[in-house]
Amino acid sequence: MADLSTQNPCGLAQRVATALLRANGGTTACLQMPPLEGDSTNAGQIGLAAPGFLSLPLAPVVFRKARVSMQDGQLPKYELLISGDAVAAQVTQLQLSSGEALLAMASGVVVAGKLFLIEAVSASESQGQAYLYRLLLQETCGEWPL
Amino acid sequence: MQNAKDTFYITLRSRLATVNPARTMTLRAVSRPGILVTEAEAPAPLPILDAFALNWAGLQADLQLPAILAQMTCEIQYSTAGTQANAGLDRGRTLEEMDYEVLKLLYPYSAQKMNYAQNPAATMETLVFWSEPEFGPVMTQRDRLSRTVKVTVFAFQEQGEQ
Repeated sequence: MADLSTQNPCGLAQRVATALLRANGGTTACLQMPPLEGDSTNAGQIGLAAPGFLSLPLAPVVFRKARVSMQDGQLPKYELLISGDAVAAQVTQLQLSSGEALLAMASGVVVAGKLFLIEAVSASESQGQAYLYRLLLQETCGEWPL
Repeated sequence: MQNAKDTFYITLRSRLATVNPARTMTLRAVSRPGILVTEAEAPAPLPILDAFALNWAGLQADLQLPAILAQMTCEIQYSTAGTQANAGLDRGRTLEEMDYEVLKLLYPYSAQKMNYAQNPAATMETLVFWSEPEFGPVMTQRDRLSRTVKVTVFAFQEQGEQ
């Protein structure tokens, strides 16, 4: 049976999440996004041309080591908690359909000058609106500074 | 050997645009035929559905000939979960379509080697040629069907070629 009760989203959960992230060591992470106009040349598809990734800042975020068991030869995994408001602002600016679409387009995340790969994305919602995104990240092998 | 790898990919991409123009994907803000070289794209936790991914695996070199003959193993991986219109129940049929497309993409089994590091691309003196496809078993992971096809690609190393 459908839930027909009236719900008026007031953004409370989003504001609480943003405040909590900011108060708990909130920092800035940058999504590595493809350029607005992609490279359709052969060189762009065979690894010859630089991809020209854009850096899209998101704040506040909290970055921490994930509580997973360490295994030989496995790089450590990390969690990135992102404010729903920060993602929503970029979704509006880039005219995308959702926060998930934004994160799906990203090829990685740069935190403190180091690149991480996105392993999984999940969102916590209140009244149908995301207030917190959780990214599971894996450290890359490349040691180049970004 | 890199020229042979580039030639193989671009040959298959051109043929795919003819064999099935509807098989496209959007990757790094570019809409293009649904085929990619894994090592030339950003790492992804899951494969792109309904697209062909080329992975370069084995390498052997025959040094007993006047020119070095490189033999490279290319694994063509593809996955599908069917179509939304059929709620994924057509995933077996969709995989069969991709199997047939692989056969069409690979024939004829040769192409003129090109140097795509130059612009415009330069024609080289030898051919790149490859074996018939060796289809692996279907792998099922929940609603996703995947297959890997192995092809051995041969190319002579020309003088001055890196």
